[in-house]
Formats: sequence, C-alpha cells, structure tokens
Amino acid sequence: MSMVNIGIPTAEFLASVREALGRADEPPASPYAPLQDDLAALTERAETVRERVARELPDLSRRLSETAALRGWNVARCGGVEEALDYVVSLAKQLGATSVARSEQAVFESVPIDAALAGVGAMCWPVVYHGPDCREAVRRRLAESGMGITGADYAIAETGSVIVLPRQGLSRLVSVVPPVHVAIVRPQDILDTLDDLFALRRLEFHQNAARGNGDMGSYLNFITGPSRTADIEQTIVVGVHGPREVHMVLLDEE
Amino acid sequence: MAEVATREFVPASQAAVRDEQLRQALRRAGSGFDGTRREAIAEVTEDVWEDWRQQARSIKEHTIAHLDYYLAMLERNVRAAGGQAHFARDAAQANAIVSEIARQQGVRTVTKSKSMVSEELGLNHVLEEQGIDVFETDLGEYIIQLAEETPSHLVAPALHKTRGQVAQLFAEQLGVPYSEDIEEMARIARVALRQKFLEADMGISGANFLVAETGSLVIITNEGNGRLCTSAPRIHVGLAGMEKVIPSLQDLAVFLRLLPRSATGQRITSYMSMVTGPRRADDEDGPEEFHLVIVDNGRSRLLQDPALRESLYCIRCGACLNVCPIYQRVGGHAYGWVYPGPIGSIVTPGLVGVAQAKDLPNASTLCGACRDACPVQINIPRMLLHLRRQQAESDDTNQRTVSDTDKALAQGFATVMSSPWLLRLGRLVGRALTAPLARSGKIRQTRLPLVSRWTRARDLPVPAGRSFRDRWRDELSKGGN
Repeated sequence: MSMVNIGIPTAEFLASVREALGRADEPPASPYAPLQDDLAALTERAETVRERVARELPDLSRRLSETAALRGWNVARCGGVEEALDYVVSLAKQLGATSVARSEQAVFESVPIDAALAGVGAMCWPVVYHGPDCREAVRRRLAESGMGITGADYAIAETGSVIVLPRQGLSRLVSVVPPVHVAIVRPQDILDTLDDLFALRRLEFHQNAARGNGDMGSYLNFITGPSRTADIEQTIVVGVHGPREVHMVLLDEE
Repeated sequence: MAEVATREFVPASQAAVRDEQLRQALRRAGSGFDGTRREAIAEVTEDVWEDWRQQARSIKEHTIAHLDYYLAMLERNVRAAGGQAHFARDAAQANAIVSEIARQQGVRTVTKSKSMVSEELGLNHVLEEQGIDVFETDLGEYIIQLAEETPSHLVAPALHKTRGQVAQLFAEQLGVPYSEDIEEMARIARVALRQKFLEADMGISGANFLVAETGSLVIITNEGNGRLCTSAPRIHVGLAGMEKVIPSLQDLAVFLRLLPRSATGQRITSYMSMVTGPRRADDEDGPEEFHLVIVDNGRSRLLQDPALRESLYCIRCGACLNVCPIYQRVGGHAYGWVYPGPIGSIVTPGLVGVAQAKDLPNASTLCGACRDACPVQINIPRMLLHLRRQQAESDDTNQRTVSDTDKALAQGFATVMSSPWLLRLGRLVGRALTAPLARSGKIRQTRLPLVSRWTRARDLPVPAGRSFRDRWRDELSKGGN
C-alpha cells in the first residue's frame, strides 16, 4: 500500500473549508433526512419496494423490454430456459464465436450454457482467476473471446439498464472487453426505478455496517446499451472501448 | 496548474469568430445538444423536470452549506472501504500526491478517463516529466492529447475539430491511412488504446459525484473507457473537486436523471460506475489500491463569497455552453482556461484569480438562457453581474475593467435616465448630433469619440424622433381610458 503524506492533513483541510463557510465544527442544524434512516426504516422501505415490484412484475417486465430496446439493447423475451439457450447459441453461431467468456454466477446453474455452446463448437469458459500468475493469461483469453455472458444483479425498467456487482465469480472485465455482451435477466432481478435500486443498496450497506463490515462491494456498474461515442462531429458510433452489441435475454420464468 | 490565457479573451474571441471551420463546428454541436436536451425534457414533461431541478438544487444547497461535514464523512467511509482520501490545497499539492503514488508503485503507464480537474491541474505534464507514459482514452480527449490542445467543451472536448482535421491528425500522429470515416477513426482509437488499457499500472479517473454515506466515487460515461481505467490497472486514482460530494446514495437517483439529459440529451448514458474502495480480497479483478484526491485549488474562494457560492452546485453538464450566444460564436478556447462558457466565466475568475480573468464576466449578454438551461437552477447572470460590480467598484487597478471615462459616462447616463426632462433634452440633442452620420437609423462602425468601443463591434441607433413616453401618452388618450 502506498503511504503518501503530501497533501494537507484532513483536519486542516476541513478547517479551511469551515472557515470559508463561516461555520463552527458541528453537524447540520437540520439533519439530512435520508441519513437519519435507521435499519428498521431502510428494511421497511426495501420490503415495500420488493412487494410493489412483485405485484407489478408483468408490467415491469414489459416496460423493461421496451425501454431497453430504445436504449440500444437487443431484447429477447424468452418463455423458458430452452428458448434462452437457443437464442444464445444461434447468436454465437451467427458471430462465429469460438471462445465465449462467462461469469461464474448462480444463473448458469439453471441455464446450462456451456453444454449448449459446446454443441456448436464454441468453448464457453468461466472468467475466474487462480492467483496472480494467471492474470495475464485470463486477460489474453478474454481479449480473444467473441462474446461475454453474465447474469444481472438487477435490471431497471425506468432506464433499461442492467446492473452488475462485480465480486467473486463475476469479473469486472467480462462484460466490457469482448465485442458482444449478453446479459441474462431473471424476473427476480427486475426493479422499477433508480430509487428502488438505491433503497436496496443502502439497506445492504447499512446491514453490513451494523455487522461491523461496512461493505457493499467494491464496484457497481450500470450497463445501458452498447458502448458509444459522439466525440467526432456529434456523430454516434457504437463499440468504442466496450461492446458494440449488447443482448438482454429476458427470462419470463426461471 | 494548467496554463492560464484568460487575459487574451478579447483577441482570442476576435480570431475565433473569423474561423469558419470553428463556426461550423459550433453551429452543429450547439443546436444538436440543445435540441436533444429539449426533447428529453419534453418527454418527461416540464413539471417533472422542474421538480427534479428543485430536488437537485436542494441537495446541493444543503451539501455545500455543510461541505466540511460531508467531506469528513466521505473521508471516513473511503477509509472504511479500504481506500485512501487525500486532500490538496492547490494544483501543486494534488500533482505531487499523484506523482508520489506513481513513484512508490513504479508506475510506467497511465490510462486516463476524462477528468476536467486533471485538465485544471495540468497533471499529464507533471507525470510525463517523471518519465511516465500517459494516455487519454476518452475519444475526444485522445484527439486533443494527440493535437497537444486543451478541451473546448465540458463534455465534448474535441467539439472544435472537424472530421477532416481529426483524420489529418490521426494520419500524421499514428501513421494510419487518411480516412474521414468516423467509424473507422473510432476503430483506430480502439485498436491504439486496447493494449494500453491492459498493460497500464495506474488508471486515473475524474468523478461526477462522490457519495459521503458510502465513500463511493461515481463516473458517468459512454465509451467504456472509464470502466476499463477503473478495472484493469492495479492502482486507481480518482480526482475530484471538493464540491462533488453528495450526502446519500439516495441522492444519486435525481442526478442520474438530470445529468445525461442536460449534457447530451441522453436519457441515461451507456455506463455508470460506482467505485467503493479497492478490490476486495475475493473479487476476481479490480485495482489493489484506491486513492481519492480531493482538490480545493481556489474553490474555497467561491465558497467564501455567499454571492458566488452557488457556482459550486455545477455538475459540469455543459448545457449553459450549448445555449450561450457568446460561447456559440467564440468556442471554448477563447475563454483561455479549462472551464469555458457562462459557468466558466464565474468559476475561472474564482480559481485563477479575478485579476487574471477580468474580461470573462463581461463576455455575456445576460440573456438568461444559461440560467434556464441549468439543471441545478444556478443563477449565472446574477453572479456575472455581481462580478462586474465588484470590478467596477474595486480600488485595485488590476481588477478594474472600467476606466474613469466609462465611469463618468455611466454616471451621466444614470443622471439623465432618472430625470424626464434631461432624458428629453438628451434625446433631442443626441438626435441632432447623430442623425447626419446615420444610414437607415443606425450608425455603422464609425469611430465616434467616447463610444468607439461600442461602435467598433456594434451599430449605434440614432435616438428616436418620438419617445416612448410621448407615444404611450398618445395611446392612452386614443384608447379613451
């Protein structure tokens, strides 16, 4: 770990900010409402979200697929696992992908993608690292893969986004390095709004903090459509540094 | 700190308006961004939009008023997540912090995703002097790095370049065949940078928001370079102005709705990444170290003046640039520093010193389009007027933009305007003096004594034959009520 003590000490910096504000060292006189939430309040809000989402699921699923399509996803609504497997396999065939990277997530226990892809001669492999030595090898292999497949930790109907929380089994790179990304979304992943998502994330953060482990993971990533740029003459080009093509496989039931 | 050329605003803007390629680029970009922004607002309806603006405004008001409190909370939570937060008073300190991390870690290659603060600090040059290869990876930033230029817009750094200019630049600098095909140019950048992402030791990013509650850094991008910069190298350094903090994760929702719509008219960008500390022990990948460098660099001067404090609510969407009649004609470079346009004309004097940038508050028609476009309802014209008044009243001749003659003229104008009979007399005398010089009621570009600074760039109308007061009286008597 780098030990750098070049900036000014925190206390001194904060004192100068306080001086500019003409404030004394004290918390806000009127406390900020969201930060007053205790675990009970956060739990209650999260439960309300879960109940509402469960109730409105058919509608949310339809809205998710519509919004996602508008934001650049290729959306495939699949009635079951077989249909989903067929979609991914024909996509791999069409792309001529011989190497397909995937995460190691629970969704692949019910969606046996490796065997299905092997049937058409595509090698599907999990992006997991075993020690630092294999880092370069995994990255090289990833760079050569024609497709990356992940599950979704959440999907949001309001924005048409898939949210992934990289962790053990779920590499940060598998959804950004290959030129095509496929996200498999299960009904239980779907939420309505951004507010729903942050309500659930806050609960998890504060639950962990209460256990003395103030942690909700190192990374959270929203993915909404393909990688794109408009930096030259405001002309939109897809597939700059991330995938040029993204597919949302929406399972109606698992 | 990045080179400051703000004193050159007048000659630079005069040159800019004669640059036909620049005018073309500005016309296309301004109408494009603003058109999609308006569509995006219409889609959610004005009422909802106003509600979001109000929410965002309240969050910023509260946070900036208690900035010390939220920065302390942020620092604690960055540390709790296994990262380090560093505080820098000025550019030199911030650059020294990043240099020292790079030195200790033996960093040879750095990939960067877009950061305006880094532009402000002039960080690239400092790292390069240390023998480090620095690669900008946002396509627009990559283009201007190759061209050895600075950004001309907050969200579209290479907005001033035409496709032909980029094609020429790529051919010269990268040795690729000349191609004006934009898709091909994006592919060239992808190929050139792909290997750099995977071999870089350090990734540097900016921050759109910092969440105090969780100690997180949030970046909003479209290309995917931000994801690679924060995922692949073994060290991640985030740079942020101290005003970027928001209290709670819950607050992020409204800004995620406002920022992309205001910036490019997108409903949401392709990517939003939230970084909370370095990789955890059992994560598959991610940096081993996370450093957050929080920069003052003159911001406390803006904080200190209650009349200018709201300039720190800015979320750098660039909407005010896209609607500004001045920016749309002179472009970003004329402003002479990192932050152009209406908001830049307040932030820049604050950060580099008023004496360095006294033309900027005057580079506005005060039409108010910037205030209407701002997603955080920042009253930019009010602050520009405040700065002008400060300049006019200053005893320091370095800060003053107003000559004694100007002052006498303004005082004379005020005296005349507050007395009906003097105004009447002035109109008659003025008309008698100027009518012989006029064509179709206007004096064009004549060098009149005293007012030549006005007539050099504008027409001077001849006072009307009948005054508004006369006509008003007649209208009233005609209407019979």
